Amino acid sequence: MQPMLNDLLLSLAHWFDAMPWSTALHESLYLYAWAESTHVLTLMVFLGMLFIIDLRMLGLIFTDVPASTVAKRLDVPMLIGFAVMFATGFILYFAIPVRTTQSLWFRIKVVLLIAAGINALLFRARMKAADGSWDRDPKPPRRLRISAGLSLALWAGVVITGRTIAYDWFDCHKQLPYFLYWAAGCVDEMARFE
Amino acid sequence: MELLPFFEWLEASALGEAAKAYGGVFAVVQMFHLLALALLGGTVILGDLRLLGLVMADVPSETVIRNTQQWFNAALVLIAASGLFMSGAVAIKLYYNEMFWAKMTGLGLGIAFVYGIRRPLLLRFEHATINPWALRLLAVTSLVIWFSVAACGRWIGFS
Repeated sequence: MQPMLNDLLLSLAHWFDAMPWSTALHESLYLYAWAESTHVLTLMVFLGMLFIIDLRMLGLIFTDVPASTVAKRLDVPMLIGFAVMFATGFILYFAIPVRTTQSLWFRIKVVLLIAAGINALLFRARMKAADGSWDRDPKPPRRLRISAGLSLALWAGVVITGRTIAYDWFDCHKQLPYFLYWAAGCVDEMARFE
Repeated sequence: MELLPFFEWLEASALGEAAKAYGGVFAVVQMFHLLALALLGGTVILGDLRLLGLVMADVPSETVIRNTQQWFNAALVLIAASGLFMSGAVAIKLYYNEMFWAKMTGLGLGIAFVYGIRRPLLLRFEHATINPWALRLLAVTSLVIWFSVAACGRWIGFS
């Protein structure tokens, strides 16, 4: 299953890589830097709003405002920020598709993103089911505080793995143990082991 | 005032050595710098968008400003501490980097603006008694200053 998925992702990456736009982006003097800067600066909108919502759920900010009010009012700016981050993130991937596909950090980042997404969906479902019984409490119930703490930890993980994509410590061309080739999906290097 | 000796000292100090020697530690500190950026920017943006009437319009702006201020302080401490550590690794390079000085100028301006103008005004007076255009100007100025600081910071790496 895993080798098949690796081959599939790699052919997708090669397909993007062969597009003239991908090369143009990669080689452009400013466009890549602009996309990356927008990606990083939008952290202030997306992650900034998310932090404030999570801190409210931990009972650490806006304790005099109902939790649902904070969550609902900040939802739109947060989602706008997410859309910008997703779009610029795709541009960054599109500019360097092959290396990114075989990046251990990028792979961990995607897994953490999915985990953070599932956590957020569960969180929303719990908020809706709560029918506002604790809405005005300065400190929400324990399970919501756990969700909020988990959310902060997962997003911190997304940030650091996003940053470390730029480091070449575990790139496929390096001499690495087999399990790292496996985790990063370095199919050619794995074949050489066999 | 000649500042180069300070940057030379910083780069040669134990802090500079540590920041250079361990790439993993540097990356973790940089993560804290980015998380603090999100928190600092988030509290600034929320306060300013509220002053402009664009978010949380049903919550008094006094409440928004009061709640976000201590988290802004915490983020500022974290971002400055992590920034100092990171600068230790490339201190001399930073000294010759124009974007670094643009960022430090903006940062100084931002700190003076927050603690000298924005807070005294917004915490001491009821916002309804302040000229609405003064509030809007305050919000836009704040957004421009902090966006510039963050953008110059990102651009240090490209220049």
